[in-house]
Amino acid sequence: MTTAAPAAVLTPAEMAIGTPLPSRRQEDWKWTDLRRRIETPYERAAAVADAARVAKLIAADPLAKLPLRRVVFVNGVLDRTHSDLAGLTLTTGAPDLTEDEPLATMNATLADAAVTLAISGAADRPLHLMFLTLADTPAAVGARVHVSVADGAALHLIESHRGVGQYLANPALSLALGKGAAVNRAKLELEDAAATHLAIADMTLAAHAVLRDFTLTSGAALNRQNGRVTFAGEGADARVTGAYLLGGSQHADTRLVVDHQVPRCVSREVFKCVMDGAARGVFQGKVIVARDAQKTDGKQSSHALLLSEQAEFDAKPELEIYADDVVCGHGATSGDLDHDHMFYLMSRGIPHDEAKAMLIAAFVGEVFDGVDHEGLKGVLTAFAENWLATHTR
Amino acid sequence: MLDIKNLHVKLADEDREILKGLSLTVKPGEVHAIMGPNGSGKSTLSYVLAGREGYEVTEGAATLNGEDVLALEPNERAAKGLFLAFQYPIEIPGVATMQFLKVALNAQRKARGEKELSVPDFMRLVKDRAQKLNVTQEMLKRPVNVGFSGGEKKRAEILQMAVLEPSLCILDETDSGLDIDALRVVAEGVNALRSPDRAMVVITHYQRLLDYIVPDVVHVMANGRIVRTGGKELAKELEARGYAEYVEAAE
Repeated sequence: MTTAAPAAVLTPAEMAIGTPLPSRRQEDWKWTDLRRRIETPYERAAAVADAARVAKLIAADPLAKLPLRRVVFVNGVLDRTHSDLAGLTLTTGAPDLTEDEPLATMNATLADAAVTLAISGAADRPLHLMFLTLADTPAAVGARVHVSVADGAALHLIESHRGVGQYLANPALSLALGKGAAVNRAKLELEDAAATHLAIADMTLAAHAVLRDFTLTSGAALNRQNGRVTFAGEGADARVTGAYLLGGSQHADTRLVVDHQVPRCVSREVFKCVMDGAARGVFQGKVIVARDAQKTDGKQSSHALLLSEQAEFDAKPELEIYADDVVCGHGATSGDLDHDHMFYLMSRGIPHDEAKAMLIAAFVGEVFDGVDHEGLKGVLTAFAENWLATHTR
Repeated sequence: MLDIKNLHVKLADEDREILKGLSLTVKPGEVHAIMGPNGSGKSTLSYVLAGREGYEVTEGAATLNGEDVLALEPNERAAKGLFLAFQYPIEIPGVATMQFLKVALNAQRKARGEKELSVPDFMRLVKDRAQKLNVTQEMLKRPVNVGFSGGEKKRAEILQMAVLEPSLCILDETDSGLDIDALRVVAEGVNALRSPDRAMVVITHYQRLLDYIVPDVVHVMANGRIVRTGGKELAKELEARGYAEYVEAAE
């Protein structure tokens, strides 16, 4: 509880969830004051028994048609009926998260059915962790999953987060990559438009591990994602990317900490954020290089494309470097579509809306192209096309 | 085909008038050269005809085949057959050249009520046109104009023109930044497109390009209007004597 807001009186929402919420008085939360923003008293969700409803929601998942090994969590609890668990090493419980921060505290309160999945060798199919929330009344749901990938093992890990109703979802995923392990992780945040998504992704890399990470943020009214990459062994390599496709009054804030504790690791962060309507996007990227972490190569960038006058984007890059022989850098840009690009496309006969959609697709294309799974890339492209079709007029 | 009458244009955000009563008539099959010193309004004319924002037409008219071209969106003008080869072609990261050509061609066909071209037919068309302009397959795979040299960009512009087959081509300083070999390739590409149904307006500062693209009519532009019109020999005269007398006379 050390990082919780020093609030004298708990709000009704805090009392219902059972944990204090961070406020803007905490530096990391200055753009996303949960104490002020969350007014609904979300009650702890009950287990969902209606298998038919769950099955319907599963079938509607954009990834449902891909040949993936599906592991389903409904309201934070593993749904064995709808999961393909054969041959999977699954135990209950999960290790502590790396950082003691407000969302971890919340998760400790809300998630009481933690699960650990152990992966060794080369997985036969990509693993799809499907997180579903069904809320008939405002509900708070915590999920806790740990995935440990053995030395030399390889895994495609895909997460989707969806639901129906007004709810607060608080999933915490931790991922431990063994020596030389290779993980391609992709997360699709496609929560209900009325939802609040407060997530943790806590990823640790042993020596020579390679992580490719991508997050699409497009659902939920309120989104906060706390990501952490910890380099615990030399020679590891992580590329963490993200795309926002936000409109209306959506609010999304990613706080990503990349912690170089050991020498000779490479990190890249690239976020491409498209904001329409009165959407608000935030990217807070912090790269920490410990004193012994010489030869670190760390770069981060965030780029925002604002499609309306009311949309807003804030970037807060931070470098905390204690070693002297490193290459680190950051960059951030924010702006509307390039008028010269628009004119050039239109001068060749391409209508305004189509030209706009082409340029936005090109903008997010850089991070979509990094997704190393054709089926998933197809789903992402189709999703983006559909999103653009409703946001380029 | 193109009929411009007493065109007055100012910058939208300031009071400076750039075109001051320009008139020009171009008939099908003709190639017109517009020559003039820097700042005479040549590029503004090309941008206004193509529909770039930032300009305000205060007086006069421009019609393309009898239709008020200034009232149309840039893409509508393109579908009506107008094509501007840019002086500085725009780089568009993330949009592959082939995709761009395909979307553009099919958008124009759709606007004209024609059927979309099938993928094999489109590929054949581009391959054929690209070969003639020394545009490599590798260039076509790259994003639009990204990483192209100055000469490659100009060749890519002419390739777009050859694929889109416009009826009115406006070439804005297509010779700038080209060495003599590149100039020859570009000029051959342009000449191959000359036809009785197609008109061209070649805007240039130098006479050199007109040795390769021989015009039917040469106009001298100074201070926002056309101040003299003659045959192709006028270009030679300008090369020898410069623009000074026209600039002084126009002020």
